[in-house]
Amino acid sequence: MKNKKLVNILIYIVLTIFTLIVLYPIINVFTISIRPNDRLFSTDLSIIPANATFKQYIELFKNRPFLLWAWNSAIISGIVTFTGVALASTAGYAISRFNFVGKQSSMLGLLTTQMFPATMLLLPMYIMLIKLQLLNSYLGIIIVYSATALPFCVWQMKGFYDTIPFSLEESARIDGCNQWQAFYKIIFPLAAPALVITALFSFMTAWSEYIVAAQVLQDTSLYTLPLGLKSFESNMSTEWGLYAAASLIVSIPVVVLFIVLSKWLVSGLTLGSVKG
Amino acid sequence: MKKRILSFSFIVVALLLLGGCAKKNNENQIVIWHNMRPEETKILDRQINEFMKIHPDTKVIQLFKETEEMRSGYIVAAIGGQGPDMVYGPSDQVGPFAEMNIIKPLNEVFPKEYLANFNDKALIYSNNKLWMLADKLGNHLALVYNKKLVPAPPRTDKELIEIGKKLTIDKNGDGKIDQYGLVWNYTEPYFFVPFLTGFGGWVLDSLNRPTLNTPQMIKGLNFIKQLRDEYKIIPNEADYNVADALFKEERAAMIINGDWSWAGYVKAGLDIGIAPLPLITETGKYAAPMVSPKGYCVNINLNKAKTEKVKQLLEYLLSPEKELEATKEAKTFPTRKELYEDKLFKDDPILFNSKKQIDLGIPLPIITEMRAIWDAMRPSYQAVLGGSMTPEKAAVEMQKNAQIKIKELKEDYTNPVFGLIFKLILFAIVIAILFFLRKSFVAFFRNIKKDGFAYILALPALVVMVAVIFYPFVYNIILSFSNMSLAHINDWSLVGFIQYVKVFSEPQFYEVLLKTIIWTFTNIFFHVVIGVSLALMLNRDMPGKGIFRTLLILPWAVPQYIVALTWRGMFNYEYGSINLILAKFLAMSPIEWLKSPVEAFTAVIITNVWLGFPFMMIIALGALQSIPQELYEAADIDGAKWYQKLKSITIPLIKPVMIPAITLGMIWTFNNLNVIWLVSNAGEPSDKTHILVSYVYKAAFNLYRYGYAAAFSFVIFLILLAFGLSFLRKTKATESVY
Repeated sequence: MKNKKLVNILIYIVLTIFTLIVLYPIINVFTISIRPNDRLFSTDLSIIPANATFKQYIELFKNRPFLLWAWNSAIISGIVTFTGVALASTAGYAISRFNFVGKQSSMLGLLTTQMFPATMLLLPMYIMLIKLQLLNSYLGIIIVYSATALPFCVWQMKGFYDTIPFSLEESARIDGCNQWQAFYKIIFPLAAPALVITALFSFMTAWSEYIVAAQVLQDTSLYTLPLGLKSFESNMSTEWGLYAAASLIVSIPVVVLFIVLSKWLVSGLTLGSVKG
Repeated sequence: MKKRILSFSFIVVALLLLGGCAKKNNENQIVIWHNMRPEETKILDRQINEFMKIHPDTKVIQLFKETEEMRSGYIVAAIGGQGPDMVYGPSDQVGPFAEMNIIKPLNEVFPKEYLANFNDKALIYSNNKLWMLADKLGNHLALVYNKKLVPAPPRTDKELIEIGKKLTIDKNGDGKIDQYGLVWNYTEPYFFVPFLTGFGGWVLDSLNRPTLNTPQMIKGLNFIKQLRDEYKIIPNEADYNVADALFKEERAAMIINGDWSWAGYVKAGLDIGIAPLPLITETGKYAAPMVSPKGYCVNINLNKAKTEKVKQLLEYLLSPEKELEATKEAKTFPTRKELYEDKLFKDDPILFNSKKQIDLGIPLPIITEMRAIWDAMRPSYQAVLGGSMTPEKAAVEMQKNAQIKIKELKEDYTNPVFGLIFKLILFAIVIAILFFLRKSFVAFFRNIKKDGFAYILALPALVVMVAVIFYPFVYNIILSFSNMSLAHINDWSLVGFIQYVKVFSEPQFYEVLLKTIIWTFTNIFFHVVIGVSLALMLNRDMPGKGIFRTLLILPWAVPQYIVALTWRGMFNYEYGSINLILAKFLAMSPIEWLKSPVEAFTAVIITNVWLGFPFMMIIALGALQSIPQELYEAADIDGAKWYQKLKSITIPLIKPVMIPAITLGMIWTFNNLNVIWLVSNAGEPSDKTHILVSYVYKAAFNLYRYGYAAAFSFVIFLILLAFGLSFLRKTKATESVY
């Protein structure tokens, strides 16, 4: 028992150290956001700088279309998340459970798409979007984001389904479920932790993406958050204060989403209870 | 579920409709891409709104783009027959645009009498055609001094050193300098040029050949080194942001910076003066900065009616009143001759001295070769500063590299026969693939009923992927066999394997490949080890774990861009917190993180480990959930130790989830452009911190070598494919758990 206490203390120490390492650069970002005069760096290491000001945050909401960008990003990310989860949970299941022709090559194909260096897709993708008249529309960007997020999501789901024993569906089928019901009623809920990760990942792909967005969206009223943030930056004279403030606010939804979803990440539906 | 499918298809249909309604480029809309700074953008925006009030039938949209992105984006769009109606940027954009024939000659749009109103420097000609009409002169460096510390600015290099020495002070006697006499972004060649010209050198001769290997260059390089190592009046390490911070914090008395920065210093409450850069006594010449006008280019794709509209808008924006507004508010320098008589230029000391510096400056050459010259100067110049090269050697290297790069920029291959051969080969490959797959097709149709359910489930995902990825992929392969480059941007043709030959004969290729492999494995190793260890700790039952769990994902949640730059600041030699911590707690001497290749590479890896471990942690947390608690209980009864449990329960059971994540993590890290770009400032020092993908981005895209870039990218892809497949084969054998 004493041993366990010692282990726990040790773990707390390690976790605290890591948390500090994680927090320090982020606190730096916060410092930049309240530092007057748009300085990215400072020789002064104090967390609260002299003449600290929150005027950047006020400026952001009052004089900049920050809320519009956030709304645009939210819509796009929401749809991409939904598409990602819907398509990946089914495709992953098919690949994990069935031995169909083309299964190996679809798996490989999915993986291959991730191997394209950005430099390879930049030019052709832009030309394709021009040809399909998808510039300046959400549809173009949503399709591209979904396609970018999917391979990981499918693989992730497949890996997770693999850890769920076959016997579960077999007994469900014996109990009179059809294929779809066996998947939807039995396996799908069990995959909650993987679904959470998939959802988070799809959301992040869309929430923080910049390169494709910059190519597709030309109208400022369609801007997503990363594009809006980038517009604080210009050659040599970036509005660092605003940039830092906006960066911190942008990360809040991700953290909130994580907190909300983590209930399912550690859901009571662990396998043990079902497996018996 | 049916409901869900219904609602999903509804969304898709709605989106399709939305896409259909997306605004097309219409006749009454003028789009401007620009790279103005925020103050200038505000003025432009206001003037555009005024214009739209006068011309209610015209809609004008201004869009800020980062310079490099604007340039490459415009090129691609204009070649595709689209793009903004005008591009506003520095005069050197004219070089590639004119050569690629994607902007309109403006002498066909504006009459001579109208153009006579402008300063000659504002009219950017080449080959007797007017390509750009500038509204601002400048972009010039000058000496900015803090009047509180420097009563009278130095006029010569001797005075500069003298004043600099006097103002470089260690106030509290701890052996560290608290105030520098002078700072500036001296690691960047653009900021070095004044000292090259001051010693009588220049980057090009009259036939546009590079002139970098000259005694003047060596003298200039030595002068910078002396300022830092002998007179010690500038900091050991300074990039743009560090220099800017030091000056704003009054920890530097003088800074060499461009006209874009001055308004910011005034706004920060500094009492600044502007002075021309000093005279170099040895030559009797002034250190002369490059001066470049900024102005508008017009898209070649405009029809006549639209051109008329654009002309109207330009006449409005370039009218004397509007230019004067910008001059008053943003301290920019106008191009209308009549404005120079304005008393503003006598009364306002900043404008007065700015004019003086412009008159001393040398116009930035607009030819495309400049790009090659900058890229050739940077590595050797930084090697001199890092102490790994003598100025003499650097001058030789610069010249050699500039010649190579200019040749690459101008590369021009043709091979009329190959096009046909290529098509035949392609055809043969398709037939061969179909032939090898014939059994699969038969099996597919035979089993379609049995596997129907699986196909329904998997198909939507696959269709989306193929649609987005397939076209670009094939397009890229075709490009990689083509000669698409500056010489053939619109009329490229297939030329064969020449680009691939170039990739493999690239001397740096193997070095960069090795670095990429080191980069990938180090990163993934730490990501997985840290991520999984943290997940194991967080998976225990203990109070407060929710808070830790949330805080630990933060690196993943905060936008990469700003954190990566924050890390760059933390690695600063003198002021960065990492060196301060090392000195305070470990009594180590400071490390030159960003100046030497190995340390800089380490710095980038550290940053990326920090950014990447939360992802693996989250995955591992999810995976740990799939392990039945009973297994541990059983193991406890058997008296297993923790490491035995880890080895025989945890690791095998999280493997099926972790392996795909690791595989993909490796792939992403292999191709991670951002972090390298931001932390090492695009490969600094001396292009020694590149991985393959950042290397191709810089070496090929910078010089408009699209065919070469496509081939290089495809080679990266093939390496990764081989790498990924062998990894999968290795891990698959041990995959089956149940």
